Amino acid sequence: MAWMAAPMLPLLPVARSRAADPAKSDFERNAQTADATACTYWKYCAADGVLCSCCGGGSHTCPPGAEPSPVSWIGTCLNPDDGRSYVIAYRDCCGKPACTAGKSCWCDGADRELPTYRSPLNNDIIWCFGNASATYHCSTAALVGLAN
Amino acid sequence: MMLSMTVTLGTVCGLLIAVGSNATAGNDPSFRPAQRDYILACAGCHGIDGLSNSRLIPRLKDRIGYFVNFPEGRAYLARLPNVAFSTMSDQQLAAVLNYAVAEIGGNSTPAGMKPYQAAEVGKWRKLPLTASLSAYRQGIVETLISRYRAPASLRGYGDDAYETDR
Repeated sequence: MAWMAAPMLPLLPVARSRAADPAKSDFERNAQTADATACTYWKYCAADGVLCSCCGGGSHTCPPGAEPSPVSWIGTCLNPDDGRSYVIAYRDCCGKPACTAGKSCWCDGADRELPTYRSPLNNDIIWCFGNASATYHCSTAALVGLAN
Repeated sequence: MMLSMTVTLGTVCGLLIAVGSNATAGNDPSFRPAQRDYILACAGCHGIDGLSNSRLIPRLKDRIGYFVNFPEGRAYLARLPNVAFSTMSDQQLAAVLNYAVAEIGGNSTPAGMKPYQAAEVGKWRKLPLTASLSAYRQGIVETLISRYRAPASLRGYGDDAYETDR
């Protein structure tokens, strides 16, 4: 058969990963549940900013002196441990100057967002606009519930 | 980047979280499809329970139901920009509107409210309210106050200091 004569080219790691589960996003393929100070933490699939967990807060709590935004982006993330999708609310913490954590704490999750011209579905937003102070400090990811 | 943009009010839907943000995987609430779609598409601004930051965003809880009292108000909800331009299908959108009106609307929703149908929503979303939205809303609200016993506070977005200060 003709196909048997074809050379067996090794797949690049990225291609091999996608072949393993093409339904998953790049983020989902690398997501982990152990380290909430890393951008790969499963709840950060659409986190866009510096992680509050690197700034004296938690994955869903603001550092002392900062206030959570009353409005936020809402998305869904896949938990790799149970394979279920969860509704996540990305609230900014506001009222203090931007946290100066290291580069590894600056995340640019983009799962399920659309370009800026579809602004209600884009997460490149400072959600502090509803706060007394619109100064952005850091970003959190609060688990709301099961998505399906 | 998060820091690279600012927001023009009225163009972006965000949310007031009203449920347990400390929930952990394995013990979490689940949602019916229309409720989930509402949360994902609307609750960012309007709140999971319809309680928003009403300085900026209309409160839905115990208020949204007034709008379905007459045809123009009913159409208004489906013609709102972020409703009309939603990526949801007409059927999904009708279910979300029915969820918001019937369940979040509380006592504001008239008894025997006729549920939105997909075809109706499909018709109205082709006529999005993209100009003079505030003035148009005010006209709707005045009708609701004068004819349908809606509270005067509906002229604002909610019951907070911002509203009473104006």
